[in-house]
Amino acid sequence: MHQERYRAPVTRSAAQTPGGVSVELRGVSKRYGGGATAFIGVDNISLAIAPGDFCVLVGPSGCGKTTTLKMVNRLIEPTSGQIFIDGQDISTLDAVELRRRIGYVIQQVGLFPHQTIAENVATVPRLLGWDSERIRRRVEELLSLVGLDPGVVRRRYPTQLSGGERQRVGVARALAAEPPLMLMDEPFGAVDPIVRGRLQDEFLRLHAQLGMTVMFVTHDIDEAIKLGTTVAVFSEGGCLAQHAPPSRLLASPASDYVARFVGSDRVIKRLALISLADVALELGAGPQGAPTLARTSNLRDALSTLLSTRADAVTVVGEDGVAIGAISMERIRMALDDVARSWPENEASSEGPAGRTH
Amino acid sequence: MHSTGFLGLNGPRAPDPMTFAAAVLAWIADPAHWVGFDGIPTRVGEHLTMSVTALALSLAIALPVGLALGHTGKGGAVAINIANVGRALPSLALIALALPVAFGLGLGLGFWPTMFALVPLGLPPIITNTYVALRSIDPDLIEAARGMGMREWDLLRRVEIPVAAPVIIAGVRNAAVAIVATATLGAIVASGGLGRYIVDGLARQDQARLFVGAVLVALLAIGAELALALFERLVVPVGIRHAARAPDTWSAPR
Amino acid sequence: MTPGEPLVRWDWIFSHLGDVGQRLGEHLLLTGIAIGIGFVLSLCLAQLVRSWSWLYGPITWITGVLYTIPSLALFAFLIPITGLSRLTAEIGLVSYTLLIMTRNIVAGLQAVPADVRESAIGMGYTDRQLLWRIEMPLALPVILAGVRVATTTTIGLTTVTALIGQGGLGYFILEGILRFFSTPLLVGAFLSIALAVAVDSALVLYQRLVTPWAR
Repeated sequence: MHQERYRAPVTRSAAQTPGGVSVELRGVSKRYGGGATAFIGVDNISLAIAPGDFCVLVGPSGCGKTTTLKMVNRLIEPTSGQIFIDGQDISTLDAVELRRRIGYVIQQVGLFPHQTIAENVATVPRLLGWDSERIRRRVEELLSLVGLDPGVVRRRYPTQLSGGERQRVGVARALAAEPPLMLMDEPFGAVDPIVRGRLQDEFLRLHAQLGMTVMFVTHDIDEAIKLGTTVAVFSEGGCLAQHAPPSRLLASPASDYVARFVGSDRVIKRLALISLADVALELGAGPQGAPTLARTSNLRDALSTLLSTRADAVTVVGEDGVAIGAISMERIRMALDDVARSWPENEASSEGPAGRTH
Repeated sequence: MHSTGFLGLNGPRAPDPMTFAAAVLAWIADPAHWVGFDGIPTRVGEHLTMSVTALALSLAIALPVGLALGHTGKGGAVAINIANVGRALPSLALIALALPVAFGLGLGLGFWPTMFALVPLGLPPIITNTYVALRSIDPDLIEAARGMGMREWDLLRRVEIPVAAPVIIAGVRNAAVAIVATATLGAIVASGGLGRYIVDGLARQDQARLFVGAVLVALLAIGAELALALFERLVVPVGIRHAARAPDTWSAPR
Repeated sequence: MTPGEPLVRWDWIFSHLGDVGQRLGEHLLLTGIAIGIGFVLSLCLAQLVRSWSWLYGPITWITGVLYTIPSLALFAFLIPITGLSRLTAEIGLVSYTLLIMTRNIVAGLQAVPADVRESAIGMGYTDRQLLWRIEMPLALPVILAGVRVATTTTIGLTTVTALIGQGGLGYFILEGILRFFSTPLLVGAFLSIALAVAVDSALVLYQRLVTPWAR
């Protein structure tokens, strides 16, 4: 049986992370206006996110993904339906108290320009009334955690930082009170691609380390597949088209819409999600002079190597450099078929909780 | 401080409203107050003549200066400081300072000292608004105009002035209202205009005269404001109407 | 003005130093009270606009009319009611500050970036915390700009209240006009301008001190 993996699968597995809470949306809708002119922002969405999951909401603009996110911290109140966090109906909780327990990061960051970086990061702890010594220590810790030097940036103002640094501060500020749930609205959308890639990697590391539940909005399917343990694809009119782990989304899109949205290159994207370590390799090394790849590489690397070297097969080597098998074009095709076959059609639907493992 | 006014008027007790209203109406109804050198039409005419003359002189000086500064982008600090200094000038002091100047030139009391006060009062809002309006035009627009081969003069006439019009007119509006208001104070240095009724009313303890003068001055000021607002609507192209009023950085003491 | 009379008679100034000091203090007091009351009223008006945005039109219309009425006329309206008193002067002076300060407070609050407001609410600021810890500090430069304009304007206008028996430094100006005596006239005018410039500079300095992030 293949085990699907993405990056550091052990630390990212949902079951082992006590740091997060479950989130469940039950038949949630948001309509604006009434009667015939009513505009439907979110249409009857049900979505269950397990504790510690990294759920990415993805879709074209105006599909209701941001509205959905903002209903979770009650910046927007749903017209109908219920939202549960850790089993509690949030409409019964005080909105202000609720928000202080949830981390919130938005694309424009929203750092307070009149406060220093340290004051910005200390926002929620101060609202919660922590003592100043505890806040000071926490700020140092957080700034280091997001890769900033506290001694350098602490006393600066937001305008004195670069876009990437500001976004790191935004993440640190959201993490300040150790929230079991983070809501992130296109947080890396406004930085250049290189910085974005780095911020994504760093945030994945943070997620693995801290284990909180994350709801993350983006319109970029590649970002969704890279970051999410599950991906919720929204379609226009505020409908949820499919909620599944990235690999399943790519292998068996629930509809033509999802297939089109994930892109015609979804096979290539899938290859990137499958590690050579999880594929049934041909026994023995490849032919004489065949190119080699480490077993930590993925099928996409293998395909790329096969195409660029025009070889028939690639030798796969372990950490010690010893060949543990070989992979050919045929094997890549087989691996894809195997993964697809492991989910019956009906299981790849949008309903119900979608765990990482199958 | 003083229980008596500087002009020797005792602080009056509030008059009975009905008696007061009757006195005011009687004053207005008196035909003697509608003719002659102290009649209402004459005083309104004097007030308008002073205001329009002063505004025209202010425009003639301030507009070329503002356009030159704004077009070239030079002297920005000067243009902004004119506004700051201008705002600090008390209108009463301006009138007072104009007095020795007019005397020195042998121009006497009344019209000329008032004019020496009103014209400088009108300059700052026009210069500053014109400068700011021209400087805040989208540089892309200027570049496009130059790119199509416009000379400096064409650029100013066909692009900069029309686009900057709303803000320039807002400046003229501020100047006009300040001038109309300060023309009232001219009565202190013996000029005509509606301020006469107020100053004389104060001196003669004639509250009906005082009140009528106040109403007429207020109406004239609001009328000037509305007339210029209407003018603005008429001359500003529809396409830039949303550009709205100037940021009100200027306001004159009156 | 009288032929043969020098423009400034220094002996008059030196013999009236006490008087000058007293009038200067009076001028500051008249202005200070007007700005203080005007600011509090403007804050209240801005709060009304913040809660009910449709009020912005009527409020700017009314304060705009008040602002347009020449000061002398406004005082004349008030004299039959409140007499030649400091109250008359203050009502007039306060009414002139409202338009500028209300508009600037509203504009300053509205200029707070939407993302800053959203993230503050998203992190659990209450409405009042949002106003006093985020919106007001960020609006401060615009609000102070309004206070500066209102203050310099009011310092100039205060001279006019000399006509109704108040006036601070305006007293000297009026005395100069009525007695055809240029020395007090120039003293009044010069000190009034100097006071406006000094207070304005002080406010600029204060703004720099309290908005370190804008430097």
